[in-house]
Amino acid sequence: MKFSRLIVQILLVIAVITSIVLSFYIWTNTARYQAGRNIDVTTTDTDKNKIPIDQVISPTQVIWQDGNDQRLIYNNEENISMSIQKVMKDWKIGEPKQVFKKDGAKYQRMIQQSNAIQLVYPTAISVKTLGYLLDSSNLRRSKDYSFDRIIFTLENKKDEYIYLANDSDYAVYRAKVKDASSEPILKLARKTNIDLKVRLNLLKHGVFTFYTEPIKMRTYSYVMSGKKDSEYTTALFDSNSDDLVTSQNENIYTYNYGETKRLISDHNKGELTFYDYTDTSVPKDKLSFFQRGYNKAVNLQNSVSNLRLYNADWDSKELTYREYVEGFPIFKKSQFGSIRIKFSRNGTTEYFLNKVLEVPVPSNQSATTLKSTTSILKGLEKAGYSPNDIQDIQVGYQRESEADNEDVIDLTPTYYIKIDDHWKTYNDWTNETAEEE
Amino acid sequence: MDFRRIEIIFLIVFFSLDIWLLFSLKNGQQIVSSSNTTTSTVADMRKRDISFGKLDSKSGTAYYLGSRPSSTLANNVSHLRNQEVQYDSEDHKLDSSLSNPISITKSNQKEKLNDFLKKESNVLFGTKYKYAPQLSTTSQIVYAQTDQVGELYDKSGRVTFDVENKRVVGYTQTYVDDLMILHEKEATKSEKDVISSLYTNSEIPNNSKITYANLAYAKLTEAKGSTIYIPVWFVTIQNKDSKVNSLKKVNAFTGNIIKSSTTAATTGDEDSD
Repeated sequence: MKFSRLIVQILLVIAVITSIVLSFYIWTNTARYQAGRNIDVTTTDTDKNKIPIDQVISPTQVIWQDGNDQRLIYNNEENISMSIQKVMKDWKIGEPKQVFKKDGAKYQRMIQQSNAIQLVYPTAISVKTLGYLLDSSNLRRSKDYSFDRIIFTLENKKDEYIYLANDSDYAVYRAKVKDASSEPILKLARKTNIDLKVRLNLLKHGVFTFYTEPIKMRTYSYVMSGKKDSEYTTALFDSNSDDLVTSQNENIYTYNYGETKRLISDHNKGELTFYDYTDTSVPKDKLSFFQRGYNKAVNLQNSVSNLRLYNADWDSKELTYREYVEGFPIFKKSQFGSIRIKFSRNGTTEYFLNKVLEVPVPSNQSATTLKSTTSILKGLEKAGYSPNDIQDIQVGYQRESEADNEDVIDLTPTYYIKIDDHWKTYNDWTNETAEEE
Repeated sequence: MDFRRIEIIFLIVFFSLDIWLLFSLKNGQQIVSSSNTTTSTVADMRKRDISFGKLDSKSGTAYYLGSRPSSTLANNVSHLRNQEVQYDSEDHKLDSSLSNPISITKSNQKEKLNDFLKKESNVLFGTKYKYAPQLSTTSQIVYAQTDQVGELYDKSGRVTFDVENKRVVGYTQTYVDDLMILHEKEATKSEKDVISSLYTNSEIPNNSKITYANLAYAKLTEAKGSTIYIPVWFVTIQNKDSKVNSLKKVNAFTGNIIKSSTTAATTGDEDSD
């Protein structure tokens, strides 16, 4: 009697311990557990053709301080920022800790230091997002600081850190790195064939990349491709087309799916707006903000290899994507870039352009030489805009349609300047050309 | 007594919880293993009597390339000897009839023509062309232009030898002077991806053999007076009984199958059988 009771008790203890061990194992392995599910999803053919997330959320500028000067480097045969990220995936990066904050002078020294490479994102991303992109569990567990520059020194064996720098509050974080070598990165940096002297200057509205000398830029031509409205409705409404109500007002087409989803397509401008009133949850952390934005963006344009995350506004929950050509953004007259996604409690809104760059074509225009950034600022001052008015200044490509063949566009380089929340070309602000005469 | 009953109930509850936990753990792992779909496609193909060599699952990288028509051939015609030459300035094509036709057999044709191409006075830039078995037929032996970036399977860069009664009587040549890289390199689909996708799209019949799979550049489109090339997988499939070959083409960037109705547009001519 007593003996059988002892057996029951022992078995009970074993069962309790086993359940604890098993639950522990499942909980600590959720990453792997979920990774398995992800793999299952990504093997379908349509997903394979999507532009990967680390290509959309990617640094667009690589700045190399080689001991003498700081230069913006690019290789038009290979995307070096992508290649550097691939190298970084093998690094063992520790948890980032804050070094300093709100110290402009120290910040300037940090981003100008010699023998260093920095990767610059067009907009601030977060540590956990980087952890997701580089598949680093340490970064994913860390505090979710924002940053837009990754800096690492090249020839300093004592400096075993990478630095994450945030332009908006002049904060720098550093994380210990193991198993990292600068040799493959230097090899990539030496292979570049676009090489522009720059200086990173701190102005009132942030850190600006100044081109210290006139810069010679190539012009590009691209074949554009667009989709029919029906292709968007199939992708966006994911339900049968019988419930679709279509109305037309001149060249503006409206598609309604009940009261819950609406697509408005402006055929004159080639712009579309999609409202989804069912998607009322707002992302609670930055990683899911970026992930959900990415999924929505690639659902609209799935194979655009030139698409990059251009601006992320966490306060208004708004993401902007632009197409890039060799490290420089493309501006069209529309303010929102190629795709703009806004999350809100009333539903999500997606603004996007129908036509995207598809196939590069040899350009028959010669290269353009643009003025140095200093002379651009002088020109702006002459036109009545002080450097403190300038919110941002960037070299970008202007989209110009060719009259005889609308499917082929020319991309010409120029300076874009943001004043009073408006992006305009230098020519539009000052009535002068940005080209060196 | 009551306490003992509670112990037994707890034992049953925890025991079933363990079984459930074990089950869900195992389920998670099964999801991981089921992701390997391409391997099962390969096994399925073997079952259906489709034979092929080892498939490379490594994906490479390739470029968008562009070229403009050039008159390089016309400018160098004077270097050619022992042949009668005509130049078509519209298509930038050189037609040659050999004064001394070359006799060939099936086994030595490649070697003999390789030797012939080595001499600049026989064929201009002859060393830049490579034998392309997938494009050749019994009456025409095709050599495709090769560049550092890869081979060009397009009518704008090839030497086509005309064969009559086992003799090469002449050739037609086109030449791309300057291949420009238009965009940074992008990932291409692997051989295994492409063959699996051809199979799942019912493009590979049962009882057939994949004789060649080759990645080469082919014309995508023409714009602004230039020709744009993209990497294309050329897969030759032979019916084991009839020995009839068919050539399938797959866009190596997107993995989309280029249907035979568009064959002429892609390689520039009908060379699919």
